[in-house]
Amino acid sequence: MKLMVNGREHEVDVEDDMPLLWVLRDELGFTSVKYGCGIAQCGACTVQVDGIAVRSCQLAVGDLDGDVTTIEGLGTPEAMHAVQQAWVDHQVAQCGYCQSGQMMQATSFLVLNGTPSDDQIDAAMSGNLCRCGTYPRIRAAIKTAAAKLQGA
Amino acid sequence: MNRLVSLLFVLPAGVLAQEPPVAEGLAAWSRIYEVASHPRCTNCHVGDSGRPAWAALGYDPKWLHGMNVQAGDSRIGAETVLCQTCHITAASDNATPHAAPQIDDAWRLPPVALDWRDKTSGEICIQMRNPETNNGFEGQELAAHVRESAFVNWGFEPGGNRVPAPGTAEELARDIEVWIAAGTPCTADP
Repeated sequence: MKLMVNGREHEVDVEDDMPLLWVLRDELGFTSVKYGCGIAQCGACTVQVDGIAVRSCQLAVGDLDGDVTTIEGLGTPEAMHAVQQAWVDHQVAQCGYCQSGQMMQATSFLVLNGTPSDDQIDAAMSGNLCRCGTYPRIRAAIKTAAAKLQGA
Repeated sequence: MNRLVSLLFVLPAGVLAQEPPVAEGLAAWSRIYEVASHPRCTNCHVGDSGRPAWAALGYDPKWLHGMNVQAGDSRIGAETVLCQTCHITAASDNATPHAAPQIDDAWRLPPVALDWRDKTSGEICIQMRNPETNNGFEGQELAAHVRESAFVNWGFEPGGNRVPAPGTAEELARDIEVWIAAGTPCTADP
């Protein structure tokens, strides 16, 4: 089957019920996408489908309907997305395992809600767990990214 | 002819008019309420708090949905995180316990007017018979909705270790038909 990932078409020979997570990691080598729980309880596997955050561990590739973006497609080291830049500026990451999922969730969230309150940030990001406890820096980085994206 | 006249005298008026008697309608309603008040349904049939619950999963009956989920005014989580981020739109047997259930429809909360949590039988009955508060269903459209809705059908076969609503979607639809044919009687009626 064919799927679009980060603006490029890929062809894979897999079963329909394979989770998108494993197609991305094992078949296509997008290792930014992390396995955490496998049941949409932790958010580590978050990618975007047509710009909407999705837990890729829960999405069978046969049910995929749209273009996939992983953090490799969000920006480049030379031209980072505002969310990625804010993550660097606030030095959000500690161990880093959950962080690509955090950024993919945050980016989708800011498209839906460009001027979020602190409570809305907390609610939006509560499904993305961070065992290092970087939540205060995640919230600060999202506020910085939101301001930048709004042109402030 | 005489036999026909005799028969007319012994039949109750409701049968003559081809309408179930009120008592039958009330009995059907009590079964409908048993479903509507079940945690499998009241988990999502919540008011303007927009906070779904995780009852009927072995947790405390008042346990709210994890991850601080708030469906917001949009009822689909557009203000924070979309329901569909975890509740993928896909037909699934939902066999895995604790995984986010999937159905072949966009996951969302019902309208605020269909708040069933902590409501009495009389309150829900009055709400359900009024198209202004029952999501616009007129007459038997409500029964058709129950048969066709992926949400309703999932509630009776939720998969995994989730507790199902009592009965089946078809039984609920039939009870709704009886209740509507009887004139949508409610226990709160004078």
